[in-house]
Amino acid sequence: MSEKLALLVPEIIVFLTTCIVMVVGLSPNLAVRRSCGLLSASGLFIAAILAINGPAGDGLLPGLTPYIKAVIALIGVLLVMLVAGTVDREEDARVSRGGVFNALRTNRAEFYSFILFSLTGAMLCASASDLIWLFLALELTSLPTYVLVTMSTRGTRSQEAGVKYFFLGALGAAVFLYGFALIYGGTGSTKFVDIASIIAQQGINQITLAGMILAIIGVSFKIAAVPMHFYTADVYQGAASPVTAFLAFVPKTAGFVSLILLLALVGWDHGTDKVSVGHTLPSQLRLLLWVMAALTMTIGNVLAVVQSSPKRVLAYSSIAHSGYMLVGLIAGPGDYGAGFAHNGIAAVLFYLAAYGLMNVGAFAALAGLERRGRDGRPVEIDSFDDLRGLCAGRPLLGWTLVVCSLSLLGLPPLLGFFSKLPLFTSGIASGEIVLVIVMGINSAIAAFYYLRFAAVAMLEDPSDGPKPLAAPFPARAMSGLVALVLVISLSFFGDALMKASRNAAVVEGSGVRAVPASPSPGHKAGDRHDAASPAAAPAQRVGA
Amino acid sequence: MTIASDIMGSILHGALGAPGASGAALPAIEAGPWWVSLIPALPLLACILCGVSAAMRIKSKLPAWITVGCLGVSFALTAAMFQQLAGGRSVTIAWEWINVAWTDSGGHERSLIANFGFYVDSLTCLWMLFVTGLATLIALYASEYMSHDVGTGYCRFFAAFGLFVFSMACLVMGDNLILLYLGWEGVGLCSYLLIGYFYKKPSAVAAAKKAFIMNRIGDLGLALGIFLAFVQFGSVEYKVILEAAQPWLAAAQAGHFDEIPATVQLIPILLMIGAFGKSAQLPLYVWLPDAMEGPTPVSALIHAATMVTAGVYLIARTYPLFLVSEYALPIVAWVGALTALVAATIGMAQFDIKRIMAYSTVSQLGYMFAGLGVLTSTGAAFHVFTHAFFKASLFLSCGAVMHGFAGQLDLRKLSGVGFMKGWQFVAIAMLVGCLNLAGFPFTAGYFSKDMILAEAFVTPHMAPIGWILLLTAGLTAYYTFRVFFRVFVGPKYYEPGDEVHAHSDHGHGDHGHGEHGHDAHGHAGDHGHAAGEFHPHAPGWAINFVLLTLTVLSVGAAGLYFLGDHGGWVGKMVHASSANYPPIVDLAAHSGEAADAHAHADHGAHGSFLGMDPHKVMYYVSGIVGFVGIAIAFALHYVGRKTAATANADKLVPLLGPIPKLAQGKWFVDEVYDLLIVKPLHLISIVFAYIDKLLVDGLVNAFGWVPRGVGSGLRPLQSGNLHSYAVQMAGGVAVLLLIVFLASIAGL
Repeated sequence: MSEKLALLVPEIIVFLTTCIVMVVGLSPNLAVRRSCGLLSASGLFIAAILAINGPAGDGLLPGLTPYIKAVIALIGVLLVMLVAGTVDREEDARVSRGGVFNALRTNRAEFYSFILFSLTGAMLCASASDLIWLFLALELTSLPTYVLVTMSTRGTRSQEAGVKYFFLGALGAAVFLYGFALIYGGTGSTKFVDIASIIAQQGINQITLAGMILAIIGVSFKIAAVPMHFYTADVYQGAASPVTAFLAFVPKTAGFVSLILLLALVGWDHGTDKVSVGHTLPSQLRLLLWVMAALTMTIGNVLAVVQSSPKRVLAYSSIAHSGYMLVGLIAGPGDYGAGFAHNGIAAVLFYLAAYGLMNVGAFAALAGLERRGRDGRPVEIDSFDDLRGLCAGRPLLGWTLVVCSLSLLGLPPLLGFFSKLPLFTSGIASGEIVLVIVMGINSAIAAFYYLRFAAVAMLEDPSDGPKPLAAPFPARAMSGLVALVLVISLSFFGDALMKASRNAAVVEGSGVRAVPASPSPGHKAGDRHDAASPAAAPAQRVGA
Repeated sequence: MTIASDIMGSILHGALGAPGASGAALPAIEAGPWWVSLIPALPLLACILCGVSAAMRIKSKLPAWITVGCLGVSFALTAAMFQQLAGGRSVTIAWEWINVAWTDSGGHERSLIANFGFYVDSLTCLWMLFVTGLATLIALYASEYMSHDVGTGYCRFFAAFGLFVFSMACLVMGDNLILLYLGWEGVGLCSYLLIGYFYKKPSAVAAAKKAFIMNRIGDLGLALGIFLAFVQFGSVEYKVILEAAQPWLAAAQAGHFDEIPATVQLIPILLMIGAFGKSAQLPLYVWLPDAMEGPTPVSALIHAATMVTAGVYLIARTYPLFLVSEYALPIVAWVGALTALVAATIGMAQFDIKRIMAYSTVSQLGYMFAGLGVLTSTGAAFHVFTHAFFKASLFLSCGAVMHGFAGQLDLRKLSGVGFMKGWQFVAIAMLVGCLNLAGFPFTAGYFSKDMILAEAFVTPHMAPIGWILLLTAGLTAYYTFRVFFRVFVGPKYYEPGDEVHAHSDHGHGDHGHGEHGHDAHGHAGDHGHAAGEFHPHAPGWAINFVLLTLTVLSVGAAGLYFLGDHGGWVGKMVHASSANYPPIVDLAAHSGEAADAHAHADHGAHGSFLGMDPHKVMYYVSGIVGFVGIAIAFALHYVGRKTAATANADKLVPLLGPIPKLAQGKWFVDEVYDLLIVKPLHLISIVFAYIDKLLVDGLVNAFGWVPRGVGSGLRPLQSGNLHSYAVQMAGGVAVLLLIVFLASIAGL
């Protein structure tokens, strides 16, 4: 019990911060209320440091837990900076004009606490060692986001988006909960190590398989993969830009972590009928993910090409990125001892961190600009015309947008290239040549719309008429700057992150890759006595 | 066994000594001092500062002084490095650049290590001394020469100049082939930028492109050579490669080239192609004469003294590899000798004095290659060293003439320049340079040329090369003094070149020459050149100082010959490095008098010159040949010459039939290349252009509208309607389940 608690220290820190923020955000003093953002960021930062130095997890991928928690918390810091000023802008203005403070009309406390709740949920996903835990963590990630979308702007579109998101999210949750129930029905356990050991010893039965399929499809709502992607564009467009950035990273990360944990239950060493020990998922799951990956990246990209709103383009491209990452899931961790380039899981984990940064940068450029609406209120920019000549007018936002969109495109030598490359190489190493070709074609299609961002900002002259104004929140531009600096520096000095993601992707208890050669920091052999039997069992099966 | 292997075998036979003697090879490698890294870093700093100056729109000579200062310090450091060296070898690693290790499919540990490390031995010092020294002097010269362009162009020039010296330092000092390649490409780039400095002039742009493309052909060979060296030796570092070649030297000595792997023998041949491109040898020499479109200081530094000797350096640096190859050195020797001859014949018939110097550079480079080929790496290095000084001085003298006479370079339109007021220094510099180039006795050029000539006759089977080189020496003396007798002496006459008008484009008004310290020439008057009044302006202090220094240095270089046995000071430098021949040195046996007779005494087949010992007789023979050449030039171009345009030589021309025409047309090599290579390639490119237009563009366009079409087709599904979304999601789940189910049944 205490071991499990030690594992949860980062989440507990974030939760405590949430409690503080909830109270502080209701303070009658404006300065105190404004400290919510700083408090949240500090809490996340402390949580990140604790996660980095914390113990390895007790699941099938012990290294995954500290890595993904640190990534979520650190990018969470950037996201908290990015959401500055999203709510309470009019209320603050009214109070500063001499109005009376009304605690019922301020939204800051719940806004920041919901963000922190959602981040806590995502971090808890990484700690999950049980199906029920995983379900609760996923829901903790998602439920606050429904509210965040709704309250992010005062327009009716946000409310519509929130409602859509909630209902469709419930549908997705129903599907994966059904899947979880079937997995329990098929194996008799909800604990990951037990399920893995049973599958390893007895093979995968039909009920478990059906449960896995439904669970995967259901969780794919979180990552916005086909066929659960329909909500994406409407919701992303309806929410305020900073919240959209949040949606594009946090639920997606939680979803991918969950998928990795679920797939680790069955392992990647199932034989095809060619050799004694194969290197793939069970053929049905492989086919499922294959079809999903191919459709997700293709649909995301082709729909992004025809959009006219930058936010919708980024929304659809976020679908496409999920498609790319699914390739890494199919490839799996490769042979034991496989380097970074052959480990699909490491590729996905690296990609998540890289995508988080590039995503923050791209949205920071959008969130850093605004226009005056007809009634004089600030409204978000939502057309490519507003981005024209941005590099000349506002170099920081402009170059952030250019570099991040080129990086998202995967242009060497930027970070996006180095994160996409291992997806290709691991895909090739696992023999998924056709899928890799599909991914290559899709990367080319993505160039259409990402280059449009870069070209509009860098090459075109500003359009006539009123130019967009800078949003009066320096924290937003700063988050963009931090993202820009990190994207560029990781492009050249990404070794440490690659090594970390490689260590995070060591799958224990799955067949021949049983024993990790280099356990991640803090991992103690004694922590994992449960996993000893499933680790040994497949080896026997190989022998027989 | 082929003739070539016979040649290499018999050459190496006596020289190598007992096969077991390889223990006494080269001195151990030490860690060098950190400040060695500053030698390349300072020129780079100069380049960056010049870039900053350009950005700040500085309109003064500041970039020149920055460059001269940085290069000067760099030269001082090189001198310090030379002092510290004391016959050893050292490697200074500035930072780890490439360090990759992996396990190949066979389970072998492989690694690719290419550091920004600087390998310093005596050969490096030799090269760096004249590279940084000349670069400093020529930058000083250029500060005046380029003064009509003060502003952005001035900054651009010196930025490229600094970058060139940085690249050259990387090329020479790099401790691995990758860094050499980096420098190699860097100097190529700078050469391109500086040839095309007058980028508004179409001929300059064409020349820049020609130089770049010709070099690329050679660079391909170099790159392949480096790849192959890595495949063969598992490393690109000199310390590994040079050691790795040692075991095969014994086999080469015995003439058993079939025991040496073919890849090892192929490596030097590929490297050699790179060297031919960079050093303008047959068949890739045609870019160098055209490169004279660049400003003269560039021609002097890059296209005469330093960059073009990079090929010689490459071969000298990897000499052990060349020694174990059956064909490499014989090819080098023949290519060098033929280049020397062909370029000399073309040089005889040209009228543009800078172009004549360009052909003489090609010709002298041919000498150096021939020297390498006939196994006198010492002679080749010595010739590189002396040539650097006297050729730089010759170019700069021509440049001074060009600068003073508004771009006039035609020797038929200039005469008696040496007798004009203020031109004495130039004339003296020119005379000393010409004497060196012609191989006049007791000049530096005479000694270095002799070494190559003598060795060509000594080395078995190489006598034809000796005869070619001897003939070339005579031709060289003739065409060199043809320039001198026509331009610098004789009746005074000049026609200004066409840059009189070009000058006015630079807006003379804003920088009257008087400010720049050479107001004595009365140049102010020629601003009104509309009336056709032109006064040549004699060079100022910077140009005169540099010319004088170079003259002293090229005279002084002769003294180096007496600073030691067998090749003098340069010989010592080469002996202490990997470029030494014979390759395995017993250093103890080499000191003292025994050294002179080191290899020759053992030579089984010691060559001779008409039955005499070439080492003794060659001093007289080449001196006589030089005299004869000068005398012919005197008779044909000085005696009885009344005007600038005509001389006695013109009477001879009809007697020679079509030969002068052909030589003046450069043997129409450019036209032949055009017909054989450029035209067919152009034809192919037209075909490909159509394929590209119709097929590829069509595909790309299809690629463009297919996603668009699919996207538009899918768009209606994104209706924004919650119900339809839910139905589609449920439908999607059902379809996926169906696919998996059907696939399970079908047994996929």
